[in-house]
Amino acid sequence: MFSFKWGFRFMQKEFLSLPSRIIIALFVIGLILLPLFTQDPYILRIFTLACIFAIFAASWDFLAGYVGQISFGHALFFGIGAYSTAILNLRLDLPHWMTIVLGAVVAVVAGLLVGFPALRLKGPYLGLVTLAFPVMLTGIIFLFPDFTGGELGISGIARLASTRQQEYYIAVIVMITLITVLWKITVSKYGIIFHAIREDEIAVRASGINTVRYKLTAFCLSGFYAGVAGGLYAHYLRIAGPGLLDILMSFQVIIWTILGGIATIYGPVVGVFVLYPLLEYMRVVPQYRMLLFTIIVLLLVHFMPEGIANWVRDMLEKECPRCKERNVFTRRECRYCYAQIATKK
Amino acid sequence: MFRHRWSILSLLILVICILLLVATGCDDSPVDVDEVDEGEEANFLKVGIVGPMGFVQGDHSWYGAELAKEEINAAGGINVGDKNYMIQTVMVDTNELQSVDDAVSAVERAIAVDDVDLFIGGFRTEAVLPMTEVAVDNNKIFMIAGAADRSLLEGRVDVDYDRYKYLFRIAPPNNIELVTLSFILLNEVANSVRAELGIDTPRVAILMEMLTWNEPLVQIAQQQIPAMGMEVVGVWRPSATATDISTELTEIQSQGAHIIYMANSGPVAITYGRQWGELEIPACSVGLSVENQKAGYLEATGGYGEYDMSLNTYGRAAATEKSIPFWDTFMETYDDTPSHSAGTYDALYLIKDAIENIGTIDSEALAEEIANADYEGALGRVVFDEVHDVTWGPGFVTGFSNQWQDGELVAVWPYEWSPAEGVEITYQGAVPYKIPPRVIDYWKDR
Repeated sequence: MFSFKWGFRFMQKEFLSLPSRIIIALFVIGLILLPLFTQDPYILRIFTLACIFAIFAASWDFLAGYVGQISFGHALFFGIGAYSTAILNLRLDLPHWMTIVLGAVVAVVAGLLVGFPALRLKGPYLGLVTLAFPVMLTGIIFLFPDFTGGELGISGIARLASTRQQEYYIAVIVMITLITVLWKITVSKYGIIFHAIREDEIAVRASGINTVRYKLTAFCLSGFYAGVAGGLYAHYLRIAGPGLLDILMSFQVIIWTILGGIATIYGPVVGVFVLYPLLEYMRVVPQYRMLLFTIIVLLLVHFMPEGIANWVRDMLEKECPRCKERNVFTRRECRYCYAQIATKK
Repeated sequence: MFRHRWSILSLLILVICILLLVATGCDDSPVDVDEVDEGEEANFLKVGIVGPMGFVQGDHSWYGAELAKEEINAAGGINVGDKNYMIQTVMVDTNELQSVDDAVSAVERAIAVDDVDLFIGGFRTEAVLPMTEVAVDNNKIFMIAGAADRSLLEGRVDVDYDRYKYLFRIAPPNNIELVTLSFILLNEVANSVRAELGIDTPRVAILMEMLTWNEPLVQIAQQQIPAMGMEVVGVWRPSATATDISTELTEIQSQGAHIIYMANSGPVAITYGRQWGELEIPACSVGLSVENQKAGYLEATGGYGEYDMSLNTYGRAAATEKSIPFWDTFMETYDDTPSHSAGTYDALYLIKDAIENIGTIDSEALAEEIANADYEGALGRVVFDEVHDVTWGPGFVTGFSNQWQDGELVAVWPYEWSPAEGVEITYQGAVPYKIPPRVIDYWKDR
């Protein structure tokens, strides 16, 4: 059934027919092949961190973009993941793959704790409550400096891997896997329910769906993803400090997601992979680095209000007015239903 | 519609191409590298100056290093046998006050792109820890000049020497010594109060901004001050950014405090200095104030900061013969007084001497040489201890205490300092500490 011919036709009709899919494929291939072209530790560091932050940003996108639970304190999950990983690694000497998973599980528990007040709150009120959690955790960290390292954080954590290339590949593989799984969830029937909760929670409840369960699940899942990112970060930088819980960290993830394209899952990945290296690139003009970056961000918001990913997709593809399938913008008629979709001016 | 999309896409591709072209062009000539004429025969020692540029901590790191570089290069550079190395400073703007990962990437970039040979600087401990990890991964010397925490070296250099032997701290003395130093200064002021005002048990108000770095200091001070023959009248913790602390100061006055023992790194130090003078609080002020160390402090407090006293890494007194010339040159060049991150100045000279002694810039040999260095700099006599931390104490680096007197920041300590029986240390240029006249007027007749 899965003959070569079938595979070729599938590629031609389903995969290569849409530029956005080709871009994604090229991006993934590019990431995998990057170390073959450069061994520069600096470049590998930038892309490794971008992979970690992409997971973090996607976790926020899932919670806020898909389920509509706006969190202004998402650094909480990232920080908890990082701290738990660090403590487990240093105190119990557990291997990093285990500490990262266990750290993420602790972040899931945190997700549950944050999720409960979220059941009764919405919009800005929920945002303010979530904003308080990282501040509370920072207080707890300073309260037990012997255990948490206090202001200095916990350092001396084991490296993610012995070489920079290995660390890079771990981050890339984890990122691709987690993002794919999250994307699959959002396009599944559960994803539709999550989406519907954001649009009209009362209607979803009236349909007999237990929205409490779904909202708590969303918080846990988002916490898990952010926890994994935090764990990877802690092992990569070999430190987990209170800076991870800074308000800046929480807002950074929102900026990446909104500029990349909210409620898409791949949008935050685009946001991180464009903006994070761009900020690094700006080091060539250190005096104007932040100023230039801010101007670029403002221009992006102005010209691409739906986010970079959505803007590029809308430029390269168009939707069929009849069957709603997407087609490359050069096509005049839909590849599925052959309806007229473009008029040349 | 069709043409519109093509034109936008073409424009996008064009912009990407331009960016790529600029990127490839910039790789070989980063603009943050200090310009030095690179002749074909010239050898260069590239030194990364690490810090949050645009903030006083980073700027003073850069200023200190620039001064040293100019002087060393003007004198012919570093002589290694028949070779001469000119120093090239590379500004490594870490943005460490805001982002730790940004700081680490900056150091990595300095190694990978700018090909830096060694690093000096670093201010925020949480960022310096991972930055130094990158440096030692690449066998690069990292001489800390700014971050004070002992844990940057202890538990690293002594535990895994082979890995961490490249780490050193030249300034300031570590956090434990800084606490000791601040108590010595408090004791000196208390002795003046006893001698001049006839008060046997001075009352001390602890006023320290609400930040975590001084949390242990608040705890220790409450235990230590009574043991020093003083009485604690209370603890006040204003916000680090408070613009009005008149309530706290009035309460301190009502509690009958003779001395205010403070530790403020944030803008509250300006508020404190202004209102302490404006409200004519009859208490001497001593401790640690980052703002007090700056040349513009008196102006910022509207002149009310007169007689405020703070410890510092540098002062206009002769810890060595290099101290006063450095202070004056720094003031003349940058119109500011050097803070502790200007320790990059002495660091660069120390490294120069070490390279000349061993005749190579090889990191491993250099680390061994620096570990055994005995160098007299503007700071004092620099000798590293078993964890490569600068030795603090009489005969080594002691630090200074500066007080604003008659509109000038003058060194008032060490002045007739007696660290042991029969030993008295006074740095030439240091003057006696002055109790504010209003404090004398207030307490003399009571």
